[in-house]
Amino acid sequence: MMKQKRSSLLGGVTLATLATVILMPLLLPSATLATEILIFAMAALACNLLLGYTGLLSFGQGIFFGGGAYIASICMIHWNFGLLSALLSAMLAGALLAGLVGALSIRRKGIYFVMLTLSFSQMAYFIAYSVSDWTGGDNGLLDIPRPALTLLGFEISNLVSSEAFYAFVATLFMLIFIFARRVIHSPFGTTLVAIRENENRASAVGFSTNHFKLLAFVISGGITGIAGALYAMLLNFAPLSNIELQMSENILIMTIIGGTGSLFGSILGAGSIVLLGDVLSSVWPRWMILLGIALIAVVLFMPSGLWGGLGSIADRWREYRRSKEPEAKSREAN
Amino acid sequence: MKKIMLRNVLISAVLSATSSLTLAADGITIYGVKSVSGAFASYGKYADMGSKLAVEDYGDLLGQSVHYETIDTEGNAGKAVRKVQEAISQDNARFFDGATLSSTALAIGKEVNKVNGVFITPAGADELTGSDCNMSTFRWSVPTYGAIRQTVKPLIDKFPEKKRWYTITPQYVFGEALLNNAKAVFAEEGIEHVGNSYHSLKEQEFSGYLTNAMAAQPDVLLLLNFGSQSSNALRQAVNFGLKNQMTILVAWSSGLDQLQELGPDIAEGVYFGAQYWHTVDTPMNKALVKRVKEVYGMNPNYPLAADYISTTVILDAIAKAGTTDSAAVAKALEGATYEGPTGSEVIRKADHQVLKDYYLLEGKPAADMADQDDYVNIISSGKSFPDESALTCKRS
Repeated sequence: MMKQKRSSLLGGVTLATLATVILMPLLLPSATLATEILIFAMAALACNLLLGYTGLLSFGQGIFFGGGAYIASICMIHWNFGLLSALLSAMLAGALLAGLVGALSIRRKGIYFVMLTLSFSQMAYFIAYSVSDWTGGDNGLLDIPRPALTLLGFEISNLVSSEAFYAFVATLFMLIFIFARRVIHSPFGTTLVAIRENENRASAVGFSTNHFKLLAFVISGGITGIAGALYAMLLNFAPLSNIELQMSENILIMTIIGGTGSLFGSILGAGSIVLLGDVLSSVWPRWMILLGIALIAVVLFMPSGLWGGLGSIADRWREYRRSKEPEAKSREAN
Repeated sequence: MKKIMLRNVLISAVLSATSSLTLAADGITIYGVKSVSGAFASYGKYADMGSKLAVEDYGDLLGQSVHYETIDTEGNAGKAVRKVQEAISQDNARFFDGATLSSTALAIGKEVNKVNGVFITPAGADELTGSDCNMSTFRWSVPTYGAIRQTVKPLIDKFPEKKRWYTITPQYVFGEALLNNAKAVFAEEGIEHVGNSYHSLKEQEFSGYLTNAMAAQPDVLLLLNFGSQSSNALRQAVNFGLKNQMTILVAWSSGLDQLQELGPDIAEGVYFGAQYWHTVDTPMNKALVKRVKEVYGMNPNYPLAADYISTTVILDAIAKAGTTDSAAVAKALEGATYEGPTGSEVIRKADHQVLKDYYLLEGKPAADMADQDDYVNIISSGKSFPDESALTCKRS
């Protein structure tokens, strides 16, 4: 039993993720680009907990992302918060905002739930836009510091170089990844999947489904808040677009393209969207059309996303090899 | 063996694809921060054309070839900043121009300043040469102060009997700046400001605001929004018949591309403020118009002209400094005087603001248009800038 648990948390997918995280800055043009991908992978992973494991299509992810970015930045600019305390404040802000949005949204199901998250998203945008003394409004919040990583008064890294910041984000990403794996493999995570599959039945067997959904929201919001804060630290800047509806859409697209119900898919989704933008935008100004086509193709032909698609290709390859084995054996026998 | 070969091919393909993005060419490279894709692609396309042409026209500099690299912002300030960070850290990029959005320009100005680079932008935010000014950032476009002084004041002089003005303003920093400047002119000229309607940055439907304006019975309607918002507000105002009831002024238009979008039926009789117009009679502008027609078969519009001159000014400053040391080039830009598309232009040392003309244009009837781009008559032009003692730019 113990062995099984360890393999689910630290084996297979976790090792593949670790390998990807190590290889990314070596294969990509820059550590900055790799950092952006990991930050959005973190946001997509958090979205996956809601969409992939709980079946909640939330357009509120931008609220938690932007909220985390603003709160961490404001704490650092006005109250000289350090790195870890700023990230903690972003996590709490994201979780709190998610708690508020979730508590009201989960009272409705299906299309009404989606509409409520959309409304919250629009509301959050206009609040951020209106309180420009704090958020910088349309000009964005400028001069956001990237504090050094200190522990018990000792400076471990000043995080000035893009490589050092990548290493920090990568470590945080791996910790969150393992935490998310732990969550989905726990009885709580299994209950979330049960709610996704059949909420009425989950409720009938005695689960308070709204509490489970709310907690999923809070966890997702907390992680997304951290991602938003890291993005602000990466850019030293928090644009208003962080809290726009489009940010929620982007996070959702990354989640869907990567694969709902797969945490590793979050890296694939974030990586493909960020890289597609970088490569295709220099080739064709209307590259967003290609993104639309990719999304349609994934939804129609790879409903489990890129990760699922890769998995089914691997399965087919294994089947093909298996079918060839008897032939090879008979040839050897001859 | 096959697996290893496949892996090697894949790795080399990835590396070659990525290296083309990161390797800087030998010589001097100007990095154009343009929104060539995304929501502002129609603007970025012309800005990119302007910078490319400027580099092409310049030839060699300090015995080195001059190159141009586009950094596509994808219409997203965050992407723009990340790409500029990459260019700085990987390609040692130091010379930048462009940025359509104020938020993008402000953030990029900060990034470029960290490495004492040079960045010239035509973006609208007054903070660029105001509270967020720095040693590296220069601005070509006239600030909100000049845009209002050079449009509202001449219109008051032209129609002294029109004393009642109504304003429609986007409610954010830029809109507020235009409104405050307009209010100051109203107070000086004894104009009655009969009302103002605020709208959000995302608004595209203006009938409610226009109805309020009609109810206030003004003599002049002053639109303080820009881009698609001012086009939509103007179209709806014309459809409501407001053009026959009052004079309409769009204080911050984008010039030719906006007029091409509106057409002469909408533009006729409407007044527009503009940073640039292709028929301006200056030696440099005539040469620019000729060259742009030769190469692109069109008249230069504002983004093309702004980014052409911005790029040229950086190259001239490198030549003047005699070095590619960006801090020295920034110094060479301070106080520089040059022949620009609007005539003689000066870069004010105190805030890095280019002192240049702003234009008041009046839409022509279609029948009077000499060619397909002859949408307006230039009514007046001039320079208006806040006095140095009133500047909020405080550089260390």
